[in-house]
Amino acid sequence: MEELSLILVFLSVLFFLLGSGVWIAVSLIAVAWVGMALFTDRPIGDAMATTIWGGSSSWTLTALPLFVWMGEILFRTKLSENLFKGLSPLLWRLPGGLLHVNIAGCTVFAAISGSSAATVATVGKMSIPELRTRKYPERMIIGTLAGAGTLGLLIPPSITLIIYGVTVNESIAQLFIAGILPGITLALLFMGYVAIWGIVTGEPKKSGDLTEIGRLKEVVQLIPVIVLITGVMLSIYLGFATATEAAVLGVVGALILAALQRSLTKETFFAALMGATRTSCMIAFILAGSTFLSLTMGFTGLPRTLAEWIGALQLSPWLLIFALLAFYIILGCFLDGISSVVLTMAVIEPMARSAGFDMIWFGIFLMVAVEMAQITPPVGFNLFVLQEMTGKDMAFISRAALPMFLLMIVAVGILLAFPQLATYLPGIMVQR
Amino acid sequence: MQSVFFTLDRVLKKLYLLSGYAAATSLIIIAILVLLSIVSRMLSIYIPGLTEYSGYAMVSASFLALAYTFDNHGHIRVELAISRLDEAKRWYAEIWCLSVATLVAMLLSFYMSKLVYWSWRFKEHSEGSDAILMWKPQSIAAIGSCIFSICVLHHLIKCVANRPKEPVADGRT
Repeated sequence: MEELSLILVFLSVLFFLLGSGVWIAVSLIAVAWVGMALFTDRPIGDAMATTIWGGSSSWTLTALPLFVWMGEILFRTKLSENLFKGLSPLLWRLPGGLLHVNIAGCTVFAAISGSSAATVATVGKMSIPELRTRKYPERMIIGTLAGAGTLGLLIPPSITLIIYGVTVNESIAQLFIAGILPGITLALLFMGYVAIWGIVTGEPKKSGDLTEIGRLKEVVQLIPVIVLITGVMLSIYLGFATATEAAVLGVVGALILAALQRSLTKETFFAALMGATRTSCMIAFILAGSTFLSLTMGFTGLPRTLAEWIGALQLSPWLLIFALLAFYIILGCFLDGISSVVLTMAVIEPMARSAGFDMIWFGIFLMVAVEMAQITPPVGFNLFVLQEMTGKDMAFISRAALPMFLLMIVAVGILLAFPQLATYLPGIMVQR
Repeated sequence: MQSVFFTLDRVLKKLYLLSGYAAATSLIIIAILVLLSIVSRMLSIYIPGLTEYSGYAMVSASFLALAYTFDNHGHIRVELAISRLDEAKRWYAEIWCLSVATLVAMLLSFYMSKLVYWSWRFKEHSEGSDAILMWKPQSIAAIGSCIFSICVLHHLIKCVANRPKEPVADGRT
């Protein structure tokens, strides 16, 4: 019983620190310190230094800053403009019209940037004004952006998947490849919804609203970036490169591409480099805190107890997965995707392993769960981005995102019914 | 007296920026090392220690950027609660957050430095193929966390000094 009250103290400290606005990485270290003090007599500071040093100086982790850097370089090219002009001549004839550009645009951009808020912001910046002048209903513009923006975490290279892979010690290359089919499935679900909406409502009306924006030749503009991303993924898939090596190829490719587009200046190079430095430092610091917290978690016995308890309940995988889904959605009310993953994995990993889940599959499930949280009110990061961009109130934006949220639940169901969706490609890829 | 503080403030900001540049340089070094490993593998040449060196560059890129990122509000936090506080209460909340951060940063710097000291005392070598003395790369992490401590303390002092006046704030941050 004393054990239990200690765990309660430990968890309250954690939530108080996070809730009171202490930086997430700092909170993780602080609570880990408190936990060590509560549960062991070991020298805390030395354990902290050794663990954080060990966790930070890892070769696998180097994929992280490199992919962030690649995204920062491409972000500063004329990509978002090209994306809209290049995709619209391909998609405007489909039922639902240019709304498909939102979804396809987010899918392509997701492959470039690992962050879903950045995906929403970049694609929305171009598409919201264009769709508004063509009188598309606001609800659909916002809904499709909110939903498709979440693809950023599934479609490789995904920063959150790298973090997951590093945390649970699974191959990042395999995780990347595993994300492809589920990502495309989700994109198709969104597009299917838009198409059905288009057919049922008859909107957008043919008279003038439904026109293409770019000309067909603008599609050509998209080819280099698609070649780059495909090349990066193929180098992983064919076993030519590890995730880190593919990332550096991506950086070099992105630099060449930016130079060819004449958007590579001293200023943009520098801005991209410093931006990447800040983002990867922020993530690496959180990760460092979480390695120390994992050490503490081990001493608390919480992960083992929970795993045994869940094991004793004999839940069906479906029930367990939906319980976890609810858990992550609640957690996502307070935390962003990366923080939710690192904060919980020390506890969830043993449980998921003992429940017999394939950890690659579980990673993909986790990405969907964490992303659903980003479009759930009251606090979803993507919702905030959209609120800022459109000026609509939160209630309206949440209602607009609701159908996409439901579609994502369907996607989780599909993942459960057909786990091969995530596990097939990694199973047949060339390993190195 | 005040001009001394302003100078100190400027000098410190410069320090954070410089360590940020050093971190960015480490990022470029990671890229070069990884490229080297690809090229050397294609040419079937073995260069020992590449993996370890990339790991150290990763540490350097992360730790040296800590202060610079903090100074640029790059570290994330949960603002749900504190963003709803009025200015006076927010001031107390900020002092609380910065105090925790200062404490943690100082503990981290102290124990990182201690790690460096013991690695140096016992001449610990890396277990990888590079076989270098561990205190060398470890000291980068220690230096980075020390600069971070200075930065957080700097922010704490500035926050305490800039108490918002009632009823309107003076607008300085």
